[in-house]
Amino acid sequence: MSTLYTRWFADLRLDDRPTVGGKCASLGELLSAGIDVPDGFAVTVDAFELFRDTGGLRSQLTDLVFSTDPTSSAALDDAHRRATALICTSAVPAQIEEQIRTHYAELCQRWGHPDGDLPVAVRSSAVAEDGDATSFAGQQETYLWVVGADSVIEHVRACWASLYTPQAIAYRTQLTAEQAADATRISVAIQCMVDAAVAGVAFTVSPRTGDRSVIAINASWGLGHAVVSGEVTPDEFWVSKAGPQLTSQTIAHKLTQCVPDPSGTGVITAPVPADQRDIACLDAAMVLQLAELATRVEDHYAHPVDIEWALTRSTDHAPARLLLLQSRPETSWKARQAEARARRAATGGASYLNVISSAAGRAGGDAA
Amino acid sequence: MTTTEAPRTGSDSSAPRRRGFPDPYEIGSPEGAEGWRAMYPYYNQFLDARRAKDSQRTWFRNGMHFPEAMPPFDIVTSDSAFMSTGVMNTRVFALPPALGIDVRVLNGYVYMSANGVEDPEEIGRRAGEFAVRVGHYYQNWPTLYEAWERKIRAEIAKVGAIVIPEMGELEPVENVLAGRGVTTSNDLLVAYQALLASVDAAWNLHSEFLNMGYAAYLNFLMLCRSHFPEITDQSVAKMVSGVDVLLFRPDDELKKLAALAIELDLVTELTAGRPHEELRQDMSSSDAGARWWAAYDESADPWFHFSYGNGFYHHHRSWSDDPTFPLTMIGEYIGRLRNGEDLSRPVDAVAAERDAVTARYRGLIDDEADRQAFDEALGLSKVVFPYVENHNFFIEHWYMTTFWNKMRELGALFVRYGFFDQVDDLFFLRRAEIADALVDLQMAWCGGGEPLGPDFWPPVIAERRRVHAVLNRWAAPPALGPEPSGIVEPMTIMLWGITDEQVQKWLDAQDGGDGGRVLSGFAGSPGIAEGPARVVLSPSDLDELLEGEILVAPITSPSWTPVFARIKGAVSDIGGIMCHAAIVSREYGLPAVVGTGTGTTSIRTGQIVRVDGNTGTVTILSD
Repeated sequence: MSTLYTRWFADLRLDDRPTVGGKCASLGELLSAGIDVPDGFAVTVDAFELFRDTGGLRSQLTDLVFSTDPTSSAALDDAHRRATALICTSAVPAQIEEQIRTHYAELCQRWGHPDGDLPVAVRSSAVAEDGDATSFAGQQETYLWVVGADSVIEHVRACWASLYTPQAIAYRTQLTAEQAADATRISVAIQCMVDAAVAGVAFTVSPRTGDRSVIAINASWGLGHAVVSGEVTPDEFWVSKAGPQLTSQTIAHKLTQCVPDPSGTGVITAPVPADQRDIACLDAAMVLQLAELATRVEDHYAHPVDIEWALTRSTDHAPARLLLLQSRPETSWKARQAEARARRAATGGASYLNVISSAAGRAGGDAA
Repeated sequence: MTTTEAPRTGSDSSAPRRRGFPDPYEIGSPEGAEGWRAMYPYYNQFLDARRAKDSQRTWFRNGMHFPEAMPPFDIVTSDSAFMSTGVMNTRVFALPPALGIDVRVLNGYVYMSANGVEDPEEIGRRAGEFAVRVGHYYQNWPTLYEAWERKIRAEIAKVGAIVIPEMGELEPVENVLAGRGVTTSNDLLVAYQALLASVDAAWNLHSEFLNMGYAAYLNFLMLCRSHFPEITDQSVAKMVSGVDVLLFRPDDELKKLAALAIELDLVTELTAGRPHEELRQDMSSSDAGARWWAAYDESADPWFHFSYGNGFYHHHRSWSDDPTFPLTMIGEYIGRLRNGEDLSRPVDAVAAERDAVTARYRGLIDDEADRQAFDEALGLSKVVFPYVENHNFFIEHWYMTTFWNKMRELGALFVRYGFFDQVDDLFFLRRAEIADALVDLQMAWCGGGEPLGPDFWPPVIAERRRVHAVLNRWAAPPALGPEPSGIVEPMTIMLWGITDEQVQKWLDAQDGGDGGRVLSGFAGSPGIAEGPARVVLSPSDLDELLEGEILVAPITSPSWTPVFARIKGAVSDIGGIMCHAAIVSREYGLPAVVGTGTGTTSIRTGQIVRVDGNTGTVTILSD
């Protein structure tokens, strides 16, 4: 079988993680579960491996990392500049470039841009788990509103190059060569850009208490970037999964939003119109719809998740669509559950209610 | 009813209080009500000799059960109810950390302060007793509950059967011929004592199951909170609540009668809004009419022994006493049915939702042992909760409206003997004064002389009625005394809606607050609604309530349930998550904010208000 350098999200499942990274594998998995995810494809780990194996790039990059003094910021900056230059000036092997161009062209065809100018998001998709020893912040680049095949290829390279930030280099100098190689196994997601009217994140477990019965939603006007990066204080909605039911909301003063650059590529930060600053960016019905989406993702994975989502602008022909942009397992709740169990044990003994509990064991029992 | 909270203890009485509620000893009488203390027994008063003790305790107003100033006799319901809840905690079940409640009346209003157990050794000793006693109840609950229903039905029959002797000119001849010896004068004394004994027994029965019912509920609530720290009280209530609740039965009977009226072609008669007696007489001449009234009478006993109020006051009459409201609602339901509306309660949907909510939470518990504990706690709650939901109809409604009417028979006897003009004047005498007046009447009847009462009571009663009216206008503070250090006893929280947070809100409001535009209470039922407010202080104002208005009331009575079909939202001064307004609002899918403390005094009829049942706030939007 010939090596695949690109793979459609629709063909991916969770166990494809080693070849397409966590982000792409998860998007494919959710797509297959019937969840509305923007179409796209992965540039596989094999693509980057082949790229590195061409023209001796791999050894040059490895030497560069391991010869850098991690305590010298000048040296790290220099290594970063040199690695980036190496990656951005090396030719992408023809078979990779051709597959990316073909897939992008088809994506353009599918989504009404036959002239090849479909805006996409280009994001890195690491194989290493979040929180793994080998993962490191800085290799999770995202480029929004990338238009045209040449630009897509340029940004794929930029994602690869993002493995070589000064911090990432410093970190990898501490690893073995094998660990460092694992930490740089990376895929790139090319995903249709959503022109979001409203976007944000949702947690299927309370970030406050680890309570698994609630969903916390952050939302603001425009693309989700503003919420994820913390540029705006988003509206906050709390939903009880039972129902589901909106239990509380806090409307923030939203001054800025992230919107497509009028030039046609990239995004800019623009002011929110005065009449939208202090109103809720989601109505209750949409909050509940979003909660259901988050719950479906959680149910599919059978563990808590956080998701990024976007709500498209409604047009004359189409109502607003709620899309899932990515999902990650939420890991902090296990620790919080252990805390809660300890709390139960600590307070239980002091209360007369434990007598009732033991009576309940003998008397009740068959109701649920 | 039960409560405990931890009042701040050990503070030096001479030290300045940083923040707190008014000192009961520094609150004067409202102008024009100076003599109010004479209306209540000494054992309910803040005595000067006890100032050092009583002013150091926190006293919460029990506005839930006693929203109005107490008429002198009506204090028997406070006496019996608090004695009963107290004796169950203190001496029957030996609830380890909580005893009963001390009661004081200030300017006519009932305040309460809980007695706790602090010595860990004593708590441990009580825990052993508690396990045996409460364990027996939980394990035999269905049998005991069945027996309970027999006991309370018997008590209702008993109080109804008490005979107030006629006290005619002569002892009835059959007594003489039977050689009875003991006379009807003695029967009168016995009858009054039987009335007092019966109301006390009924309240014992009220509390026999209630505290334990709440304790089981609470156990489940705490278990839910340990797994789901952010779970709403509404969600817990939803998992436990029954679908077939007696509270809704009288309303269901009205709907049934409306349907029958359509079937029997009696629509015109029953929607004309005519007075009850006249209507009954006219309609009874036709077969269909007679059939309908027979059905009405069947529904009415017992379901219309349904108090317009909460049953704690003599003037809380029942639907049977005054059928205006049920007949009006039947007329309204006839209109709705003819418009093709489905009036049936969505019981299947409610049950399905309850099961779905339960499955949702249960599914989020990973550990098998934890899931089993959840099942057991929920199982017990569901076994005991029907009592919590249903006792109210038997005691507060059926029993109490029967009791008050029996008292009225006694009042009528005094009226016949010229002690006062109106039957209800009786309730302006204290229980001990009634005992005195009875002796007066007995002496006169026995001796053939004149009772002194007619020359003694009329001016006293007139003065008390005036004072009582003044007290009714007094704004009783929600609490008295020092700020409590922490309210931990969740029955207080559940039933009365008294929490640390609520205490802080009361203190804030007292210290100036936000100008009264935003009121905070409990999120009783979710959703948001805006509309014109209608402040309803008594059931007689219910007629004015229009479709689409927001009901604002001190507290709502279960017998008001039918009007929830008309309103857009509900706001109450008093109550927690399990209060009637919250339960009915959830059933009707209306937003409700309960326990606002000051809804009826801050909101005026006609103001546009927003009820946010998600956050528990009410905002006054316009004047």
